[in-house]
Amino acid sequence: MKISVNWLKDHIDLEVDPDGLIDALNNIGLMVGGWEAFEDDIVLDIETYANRPDTLGHRGIAREIAVKFGLPFKELELPLDESSLETADLVDIQILNEDLCPRYTGLVVKGVRIESSPEWLQKRLRSMNLKPVNNVVDVSNYVLFATAQPIHTFDLGKIAGNRIIVRKAGKGESLLALDGSLLELDSEMLVIADESKPVALAGVIGGMDSSVTDSTTDIFIESASFHPGSIRSSAKKIGLQTDASYRFERHTDIAFPPLAAKMAASLLCRFGGKVSKGLLDVYPAPAKTKTVVLRRHRIRGLLGLDVEDGFVVETLESLGFLVEEKQPHIWQLKVPSFRIDIEREADVIEEIARFYGYDKIPTQLPPMEELEPIHDERRNRIESLRQVMFHQGYDEVVNLSFTHPEEESLFHTNRRPVVIRNPISTRASLLRTTLSGGLLQNIAWNRNRGAEGVQLFEMSKTYYRKENDSYGEDETLAFAATGLVGEDHWQGARIKADFFSLKGTCEALMSNLRYAACSFMELEHECFLKGAALSIHYKGQIVGCLGEVNPPVLKYFSIKEKVWLAELNLTRLFAKQPQPFMFSPISRFPSIERDLSIIIDKDVVFQDIREVIDRLSILNLEKYVLVDKFSGKPVPDGKASLSFRFVFRHSSKTLLAEDIDICQKQILAALRSAFKIHLREGESIDK
Amino acid sequence: MREIKNQIDAYRKELEKATARIKDAESLQELHTLFLGRKKGYVTLLMNAMKFLPPEEKRDAGQIINLFKKDVQDVLDGRQKSIQKSRIISFAADLTLPGRSPYWGAPHPLRLFQNRIESIFQKMGFSIEEGPEIETDFYNFEALNFPPEHPARDDWDTLYLDKDDWLLRTHTSPVQIRVMEKRKPPIRIICPGKVFRKEAPDPTHSPMFYQVEGLIVDHGITFAHLKGTIDFFLRTFFHEKIKVRFRPSFFPFTEPSAEVDISCTVCNQKDDNCRVCGGSGWVEILGAGMVDPQVLKNVNIDPEKYSGFAFGMGIDRTGMFQYQIPDLRYFFDNDLRFIRKFSRQ
Ligand SMILES: [Zn+2]
Repeated sequence: MKISVNWLKDHIDLEVDPDGLIDALNNIGLMVGGWEAFEDDIVLDIETYANRPDTLGHRGIAREIAVKFGLPFKELELPLDESSLETADLVDIQILNEDLCPRYTGLVVKGVRIESSPEWLQKRLRSMNLKPVNNVVDVSNYVLFATAQPIHTFDLGKIAGNRIIVRKAGKGESLLALDGSLLELDSEMLVIADESKPVALAGVIGGMDSSVTDSTTDIFIESASFHPGSIRSSAKKIGLQTDASYRFERHTDIAFPPLAAKMAASLLCRFGGKVSKGLLDVYPAPAKTKTVVLRRHRIRGLLGLDVEDGFVVETLESLGFLVEEKQPHIWQLKVPSFRIDIEREADVIEEIARFYGYDKIPTQLPPMEELEPIHDERRNRIESLRQVMFHQGYDEVVNLSFTHPEEESLFHTNRRPVVIRNPISTRASLLRTTLSGGLLQNIAWNRNRGAEGVQLFEMSKTYYRKENDSYGEDETLAFAATGLVGEDHWQGARIKADFFSLKGTCEALMSNLRYAACSFMELEHECFLKGAALSIHYKGQIVGCLGEVNPPVLKYFSIKEKVWLAELNLTRLFAKQPQPFMFSPISRFPSIERDLSIIIDKDVVFQDIREVIDRLSILNLEKYVLVDKFSGKPVPDGKASLSFRFVFRHSSKTLLAEDIDICQKQILAALRSAFKIHLREGESIDK
Repeated sequence: MREIKNQIDAYRKELEKATARIKDAESLQELHTLFLGRKKGYVTLLMNAMKFLPPEEKRDAGQIINLFKKDVQDVLDGRQKSIQKSRIISFAADLTLPGRSPYWGAPHPLRLFQNRIESIFQKMGFSIEEGPEIETDFYNFEALNFPPEHPARDDWDTLYLDKDDWLLRTHTSPVQIRVMEKRKPPIRIICPGKVFRKEAPDPTHSPMFYQVEGLIVDHGITFAHLKGTIDFFLRTFFHEKIKVRFRPSFFPFTEPSAEVDISCTVCNQKDDNCRVCGGSGWVEILGAGMVDPQVLKNVNIDPEKYSGFAFGMGIDRTGMFQYQIPDLRYFFDNDLRFIRKFSRQ
């Protein structure tokens, strides 16, 4: 809202420099976004709030400043040159939709000379960045910017039957608007009509046919109140916001139309006009005055300081409240009609704080008498997974949650995506059901910018539509790797990302969460290359998958190199009970290692061997690792050689070779009965 | 005398050759012993030889021997200095070669900022709460006192889903409502997370961004406590010496409301043409206020017994200001060169 400092002086004797004025305005919440010198004036740009339509004119701003500086607020003198004609004899006003137009006032001014406005008036309009047109148009703009009450002027001679009817538009009616456009009206739009046709779209724009022209002499002044929602919907439908509709949409002061009409009439009298007697005021259901009770102890309770009663009463009275002390320190307030924002005690306390000054409120820390124990298991686990990912050399990314049908279908997630009804673009019309698309985009972006290797992870929500049609959100972790890992180093070549580097990360994550007992199964999925993917299972449910990305998917993202990708559903995973954590003391006794190499069918997968060994629950077996695997000569065709290292340790004694032998026999027996194996030649198992 | 002179010339030649061969402190020490050794050093030998000269020649011989001794000293000192310089590389292997360390992944800057904010509030006894990103009109607007015709509810500002009344949350305030529904005061929480608006991406806008909101509800919570909490947070997050300014504002869910500015850390309030604060000296960082009594009533907390305050700030925007990042979209481009910059922050 542009505010001219000179204009404010109509209401207050302002004697402060611009800096002081701007500071004062900021302190009462009327933020000055900027200012510029205009001729001998200064024009401020003030940010106003949706709930303070009273500050959309100079009058309202001047009132606030008057309160801030303790200055008297001066009302304008509005002398009228009245004729003997009664307004009611000249024009008839009828409201058919009282809910949409609660008040309509009118005056007639006859014999106005249409000419250019005097310099003082033109200057005021120019300071508002408006082009002066003629005295009548300028007066209505002037009243709007002075008071925040829009008014409209009609050529009375062009109002058929001298009748003003406020009604909804009829089917098929149209209006040639002042800006030259032809508006098709619908039956929800409120119009001002004469006997035969609409002459204005209420509160938004007037009609060309009834507008004031150079030959006009008799003017009808409309000063009314309209329902904000109705004006907003009309303005939106025709795609036009005017200074008038902007104010009506935000609520105008129901008490103000008579004064605005009088103000316009008074100005038109300066151009030879004579005003009709008696304001026509159709106001079928006068609004009730709002009352609020204010208690002194609540001021303290909310602000944390005592404000003197004198300050409270004086501030509220100058803001237009009627203050009556009902009991000691308890006041009943009548709220001025222009303050639509004030309904409760808290609203009034804000007014007191605003003018008292936020800077005078003390700065204290809130007392803390109780503190609940914090159980943040989910957040802790997520944070711990992030640390695993960093440790594994993955950089963290955050992608937008949106995707589009083509990309979404690429991943065959078997989930119904969430559809955005009013997306910013079709490229962002869905919420993603997988994080994979974002990661592949990031890989393409970074490869195109010279990155030799990229390892990325994202931890975010994925979204889907559930069976029962409600929406679901799953915490998801996805990561992808391609190209070289780490930095070049003089000691040797960099390793390349591959399936097992990704799988190792999966295992590290699962073990970090104490889900190490997860299992992997071969996975066939459109997203992954056939034979190069696994699904991850925990307690009978799929919790994720990993594999080499299928070339058609890579092609979609214009990626030429191999990429390995994994995605884990953390919501599903966290719902599972992890293995319990238990502390057992470190054994003081030495361990015994045994190496064991077996020849086994190539088709047998490691996981099956592991299961057989694990199921044995061998006593004192601390751990075992696969230390070598190979096939080809001297291993017979169709067979592979696997070498394991077993580490045994007892918690309270030194193990004897005989103890270990028993264990070893047990392991071999189990493997023999499960698979066809034999020991590699030249190695003794019975040492 | 002549013999001594010849001998000295021979020694000089030997010195020249030997110095060229010196590679390290050890060989230098050897040479030192050879020439200046007390018992069998060349200079000592010359001195011994001088004793047999006639008295009239002794003086001259003494002079040339001393001159020679000084020259040797100078040459060896010079070598000593140059050896000390290159001493570190004088071992068998070059230990100054770059070391080897595993690559440690870099956190995304937004998560980094978020963690910093969280840890400050955790020190003040706040717990962290999260909630769904897909929300209903009730939790996102109605319970927060947004009137039905409020512009934020417009199709132009909020992303709505294909089912009526469902939307992508436009702030994390719904989490506050959900917590207040479940728990009775005292409540002392912050709610960080993703929020969504219908805004096309440009240098200062994004349809998705990060926010953190906070809430305290308890007996006797006042605006003074709001000021104290925010002041502590901002001075910890930015700098102890920044100035903090509270000015009146308006939000539907707080009353009274405040906008919180900090003194511009780019120009320190000294540049009238500062491109960050526009010369005003202040940068808007946070919105706050006392929880509106209606909001408390909506979640069955009696506003006569309890009061509270709430605040909210953009994580991306705050990070952009702190590090002078020129474009919001950098956060979502995920260029590794950008992301990795912050791991040493
Ligand atoms: Zn600055």
